Amino acid sequence: MSGPALAAEGLQTYYGKSHILHGVGLEVNAGEIVTLLGRNGAGKTTTLRSLVGLTRARDGAVRIFGQATTDWPPYRIAGLGVGYVPEGRRIFPNLTVEENLKVPVERPGEWTLARVFDLFPSLAQRRGNKGRQLSGGEQEMLAIARALLLNPRLLILDEPSQGLAPLVVQEVFRVVATARGSGISVLLVEQNVRAAVAIADRAYVLDDGHVVYSGAAADFARDEARVRALAGASAEDWHQPGAAAH
Amino acid sequence: MTQLILFNVFNGLIIGAFYALMALGLSLILNLSGVINFAHGGFLGIGAYLAFTLMPFVGFWGALILAPLATALLGIVVERVLINRLYGRDPLYSLLLTFGLAYILEDGTRYVWGPSTLPFSVPTWMLSPLSNEFFFLTGYRLFMVMLVIVVVAALFLLLGYTRLGMRIRAGTLDLETVSVLGVNVRILRNLNFGLGIFLAGLAGVLAAGMLGLQPTMGSTLIMPSFVAIIIGGLGSLPGTLLGGLLIGAASGITVVFWPSASEAVIYVLMGLVLLVRPRGLLGEEGRF
Repeated sequence: MSGPALAAEGLQTYYGKSHILHGVGLEVNAGEIVTLLGRNGAGKTTTLRSLVGLTRARDGAVRIFGQATTDWPPYRIAGLGVGYVPEGRRIFPNLTVEENLKVPVERPGEWTLARVFDLFPSLAQRRGNKGRQLSGGEQEMLAIARALLLNPRLLILDEPSQGLAPLVVQEVFRVVATARGSGISVLLVEQNVRAAVAIADRAYVLDDGHVVYSGAAADFARDEARVRALAGASAEDWHQPGAAAH
Repeated sequence: MTQLILFNVFNGLIIGAFYALMALGLSLILNLSGVINFAHGGFLGIGAYLAFTLMPFVGFWGALILAPLATALLGIVVERVLINRLYGRDPLYSLLLTFGLAYILEDGTRYVWGPSTLPFSVPTWMLSPLSNEFFFLTGYRLFMVMLVIVVVAALFLLLGYTRLGMRIRAGTLDLETVSVLGVNVRILRNLNFGLGIFLAGLAGVLAAGMLGLQPTMGSTLIMPSFVAIIIGGLGSLPGTLLGGLLIGAASGITVVFWPSASEAVIYVLMGLVLLVRPRGLLGEEGRF
């Protein structure tokens, strides 16, 4: 495959009058896992929304699999093979598990209902249950399974481990690794910095709508001070009174 | 006495089936697109008059199928050209637009077909009562009830078991997520609008067979349809169905004891439901 799976440059995105992204650029090469890190409010979700067409960038360019998709509506971007797992899962609470999995358009590929149920046995067991009856972990699995049924070539996940128990988080990362193993490129936004850099090839760090770091994930992981500064959004913040919470 | 009550309850249920048919279309459109379609009654009238015009050429059965389809086509064009521009804006805009459309459709039918009541003839065998005991049950009424049952069953099968139906139901709560899953939501809303208008057109043909044709037929049926939606609960199609049948039966029973209150009773019923259960009988909690 020639060229990156996804390349964005100079994204300027606004919500109404508030200017959120100030020229964000990033790349995901074919077969890579790239993680996008940053504190709450840094602009990670907005970046993803600009990439998948939900919140259009006012300026800048997005290319996905060689196509200029900056102004495309979400369904066309998805049609290229971009699976998106939104923040907070956004599963359909009024639909059963199986119905949730039938909402995505059918793109030909190796991911079928049977294969997805193979990967997530607990979803297979609960296929007749409504989305609202699932636990947080099951909802996350369902959101990922739903994106996989689009047979994506690029999977974009927004904080898949949020609010999940450690064991379930491991499960989520196992699935992300499985997806990459089947040739899918991955862009991963995560609060769980250590887990994210452990699995990723490269990392970007976003702060206040700017990319402030980009490099190999392994290098970032070795830089304990940086990891702490980011991971510190939770426990370590207790030891830094006055740290500006965003 | 029993027979009188039975007669009126049955009569009421038939009227209720109408309200339900119309309210289901309104509900579909409201749920997915957030548009309160005041023009729904106008489309009902169009369906009725189209059937009247088509009948000499294609007969009753042909008109029964073609008129609602043609009405749905008109609905699809109207959605494409006018209504879809207002999605995502304040609901007031679409409310005003459909309110205006309602007048245009009603006066349009008056202009084309004239202001006076026109007769709408159904096959003669449908007009005779089934038996002396059930003198009130004409073949046409029975046919209407059966048809409404079949159509409503088909609608629920469509929504429950096809991907299109699943996407419509998913979209009623989260259209944005439906769109990132590769579904063209412009087309989804367009088809859904057409489906809703098809039901309005069909209700129009059925109403014509029972009440004859009047330009105002749509506007007299639309308020009870809104009441049916509110009683059943916003966001719930089974609720809408239940609401329609309930208000029909309630006004049927009231006719026996206090005829002049038979129209007011549905609003009293709505008030009671809202007092006891503000989200409606089967409404989703916290939706509105």
